[in-house]
Parts: sequence; structure tokens; C-alpha cells
Amino acid sequence: MKQSSAALKIRENLMRAVFFTAALASIVAVALICVFLFSQGLPAIFNVGVSEFLGGTRWAPLNSSDPGFGILAFILGSIYVTAGAIILGVPIGIFSALFMARMCPKGLYRFIKPALNLMAGVPSVIYGFFGMVVIVPAIFEAFGKQFDMMSGNTMLAASIILGIMILPTVITIAETNLRAVPQELYEGAVALGASHERAVFKVVLPSARSGVMAAVVLGVGRAIGETMAVQMVAGNQPALRLPWEFLKGIRTMTTNIVIEMGYVEYGSLHNGALIATGVVLFVFILIINTLFSILNRDKQEKRSLLSLRAKRGNPDTKLTKEQ
Amino acid sequence: MKKLLAITLALMLALTMVAACDGGDGGNATPTPTNNPPAGGDNNPPAGGDNNPPAGGDNFDADRVIAVYTREDGSGTRDAFVNITGVGDDMYIEAVVMRETAQILTGVETSDYGIGYVSVGSLSAAVKALKIDGVTPSNDTIKDGSYALQRPFLLVVNDDKIDDELIADFIEFTLSKQGQETIGTTWTSSVDDQKDYAASGLTGVLKVGGSTSVEPFMNRLREAYIALNPGIEIEISGGGSGVGINEATEGVIDIGMSSRSLRDTEQHLNSFTIALDGVAVIVNKANPINEMTIEQVKDIFTGEITRWSGLS
Repeated sequence: MKQSSAALKIRENLMRAVFFTAALASIVAVALICVFLFSQGLPAIFNVGVSEFLGGTRWAPLNSSDPGFGILAFILGSIYVTAGAIILGVPIGIFSALFMARMCPKGLYRFIKPALNLMAGVPSVIYGFFGMVVIVPAIFEAFGKQFDMMSGNTMLAASIILGIMILPTVITIAETNLRAVPQELYEGAVALGASHERAVFKVVLPSARSGVMAAVVLGVGRAIGETMAVQMVAGNQPALRLPWEFLKGIRTMTTNIVIEMGYVEYGSLHNGALIATGVVLFVFILIINTLFSILNRDKQEKRSLLSLRAKRGNPDTKLTKEQ
Repeated sequence: MKKLLAITLALMLALTMVAACDGGDGGNATPTPTNNPPAGGDNNPPAGGDNNPPAGGDNFDADRVIAVYTREDGSGTRDAFVNITGVGDDMYIEAVVMRETAQILTGVETSDYGIGYVSVGSLSAAVKALKIDGVTPSNDTIKDGSYALQRPFLLVVNDDKIDDELIADFIEFTLSKQGQETIGTTWTSSVDDQKDYAASGLTGVLKVGGSTSVEPFMNRLREAYIALNPGIEIEISGGGSGVGINEATEGVIDIGMSSRSLRDTEQHLNSFTIALDGVAVIVNKANPINEMTIEQVKDIFTGEITRWSGLS
């Protein structure tokens, strides 16, 4: 039995609407979050005063006589622990990615790759607990007496945990980008007499530069947004710190929200200030994601250019791809 | 266009960092307490303060810095603690802030020089509870009032509602033998003369709200009460002691829950003490110290005393 063309058309339009709705759902979710954050957070920021909120160093939201709503210490805290995580995690991540993309024996790779995936899947509270019972006491044991520390709950502990947590992100993205470097470049280098290592470090790595940078940027995004693990090891003191005070505790924007949100009175300025902390965090993430997509776009343009050049200079593209 | 946007955003990021450096001194935010109660509710039985482990500490170096662990701003346990000890708004800024009872316990357990405070009901054998002014925290010492670090769990009802049959029946139940049985070993009963409660056969809905510290206890009470009176429903909402007291005053809810004593301005409410909760000061097992005065506890948590040797 044949369906009339009108019925077909209706069905087609219906399905189109269904797919459109599905595609819209995630956008709507993001839009709603934006609306919520800014509508609740911005009034609080203006209420406190923009410079007082972003530049204030005193956080005492519940002080009955003189409340303070400055989050500078937490903005800096987020930047410090993220920077620490990058310093500790990125070198390891990039070397691991290089190893996995260009030097790893196949048998070992089959072991490393699932381990890495598993690492990405470990819940952050597990990392936090690991930090709390292993890293924190270890730091205290190592430096406590010497530097007259109060406890191992420090910026350093948070940085170490975050450095470990960003590894899967950094390695996976960097590896993908290193693998995407045209084989011709590597072969060209080897043909000119470079050793395998030299070709990898001097040719492959530089040509994947923007992709590797993208991996780092995504790692930054992961680190700055992490909450649970940081909260468990960082100490969470609302005190302003300087970068070299990494053996003292610190509170980040994320942990400030999670620590105090549980008991906050709905509709109070304290509530608004916590959401406003979320707004600042959101802006940071926005910046990071924009950077990421710019790096990604550059990379794609470059890659198509490179492969074009490689093809032009080397008409016989059926060269062996074996390494 | 996109590039421009990216540069602007990156610039903003850089500016924030520069601005941050300008404001780079001071930063003495003093965390403060509120009237909101804690989520409370770890249902571990108390370790029983009488069997403190023998003082360890051959390697305990009293000149080391005291590792102070505190709960977050707004926690009811913290609120009770700072009010009773007199720490008030002056919590030591270097104190490590933990979000849950369990994190305080882990912190003190893993740090030889640690000190913290938890609800007596959540004590574990892995830490040492201190005697305060010579009194060990236990159900007995909390009940007779000799252990100073304690707070009442209150139900509050305004004058308009006190004659309501249903409300009176529920309060009668909470103070009865059947009601007080639900306390178990988590909290301490303060009712000496516990009567037998007989099901009333009433029907209706009760609205109860307030302290989240009292909430776990209220859940137990509800379960036992509804088992006896199937016709009654109880709706429980949180919000904290302050919210519970306000809403009970306005009559928005029938019964307010509070985990602190009523203030002078709140004395017009009818209040019923349904249980007592102690706050235990805990230290690591390696710490040779077994007791402290309230004054010493206050000095540690305000940062007056920063080393264990400063206690003597």
C-alpha cells in the first residue's frame, strides 16, 4: 500500500522537528544555565560592588556586624593550583603522549591505553581521598618540621592531585594530535639523516604544536573546574596567598561554592555571592574554551596545508606507511 | 573577528592577574558562624569517651604547630562550637576548613598534631576525644550537664498552634518512652520521666521544618510515629535553625526544629527539648594530651595558641 505524498511529507516534517528538538536540548540547557547564573549572580556582584567583589580580600559572609564578600583570594587560589597542576602535569603528559604516539611497542600500548582510560574514569572523590590519606600526610612528613607547617593540606597537595587528574585529558588530546602529523614529515626528517628521537622531537612535536597547546588548554579547563578533590586536600582557608606560599592552604572558587552552598539561606546576599563566584568561574571557562577552539581551528588549517604541501612535493603518495 | 574576541578575553584574564597583584596584602577574612545547623547525621554509635586509648606520643614534638581543623561557615556543629567556647566570629584564619564530619575525622586521624571537633554521635575509635574541664563526653555527662560543650535539640511551637490536638499529640509522642527510644546512642535523651504513649487515632498533616542537625532524628521520630498513627502525614523541610524558628513564629510551619537554645527575642515560643547533642574536641591518638579547659580550646581555635607547647 502506498502512502500519499502528503502523509509522507507530514512524517518527514515531524521527524525533522524531533531531530531539531534533540539538537536544541543541549543548547537550551547551556542557555538556561547562563540565564540562571547571570540573573542570580550579577545583582549580587553589583550589590557588593564590582571592585569590592573581584578585588576584595576579606570573605566573611556570615559576620553579623561586618560581612565581607571579596573573592580575590579564591580567584588567585584557582589560578595558583591550576598553574601548579600545569607545571607538574603537562611535561609528564606531553612526554607520555610522545611515547605513546611514536615510540611505544604495540604490546605495551595495549596495556597503557586502557589504563589511561581507566584513569580518566576514576571519580574525583577517589582522587581526593587518595590525596587526603597519602599525599597530604606525605607532604607534611616531608616538609612539616622544616617549614613549620600546620598541616599537609596545601596548595602543593592540590596541585599534585590536579596534575595527576589532568594527565588523561592532556595525554589523549596530545596523542591524537601527534598521530595526526603527516607521516611524510617524519619520513622526510629520517631521510635527511635524523635519528628517530630527533625526528620526533624536532619535527613531529613542533608541527603538532597547536594541537599540544590545545591539550594543555583543555587540561587547564579541567583543573580550574575541579572541585571535590581540591576541596579535600587544599585546606580551604579563605586567606590571600602569594605564589611562593605553596606550602600553605588555599581556597579556590569552586571549593568556596561547594563548601558554603549547603547551608546558605536562599535569597540572601551570601547565596548571591556564591552564585556570583560561579559567574566568575564561568567566565574563566569561557575564556579557556574560546582559546581551545581557536587553537583547534588553527591546527586544522595548518594540517590541511601541510598535507597539501606534502602531496605536491611527493606525487607518489603510495609510499609505505610502515614505521 | 573571532581573533579579536580571543585577544580581548585573554587580555581580561591578564588584567585580572595584574589587579590581583595590586590588592596583594592583608586578606584577613574572618570566617563567621551562623544560626544554620549542620547536616549532622552520621549514625555511627559514639565511641564512648570512657575508654580513651592510652596516651601515645614518644615522638610527639610539642613545639610543632597545632593543626586546627574546623567546619565550614554555616555548619550547625561549628555554630554550636563557636558559641559555647566563645570563639565567636574570630575563628583562626589559618584553620583548615573541612566540609563534612568525616573529613574532620580523617584529617585529625592522619595528622599527629591535629585538633578538631565533631558531634559526639559521630566519634570514631580512630581519634581521641578530649576531656573538657575534666569531664569526658558521654551520654551521662551530657545529660547531667557536666559536659559543657553541648546543645539542645528543640521543637518550637507558637502560641496559636500550641492547643492544636495533632501538634500536642506529636509532642507528647516525642517526649514519651516510644519517642525517646529512637534516639539510640547517637544523641542523648534529656527526658527523665518518660511516659507510655498510646496511639491517638488522629488524622491530618503536620509541617515540621528547620535545623538540618535535628532532621535525622526527626526522620526517626516520623517513622515511629506514623507506624502508630497511620492516618497522619509529616512533611519535613530543612533550612536551618533560624529558618525553623522564624517559620514557626509566623505559623508557616506547625513545628520548628532548632539545634540551639532560644535567644532572648525568641522566648515567646513554646519550646520542648527533645534530645541533647554533645560536641567532642578530638585530637590524634599520638597526642599525649588528654584534657583541656574551654579557655584553652578557645585560644587554639582563635589562633592565640599556635603550638602544643603553648598550652601549659
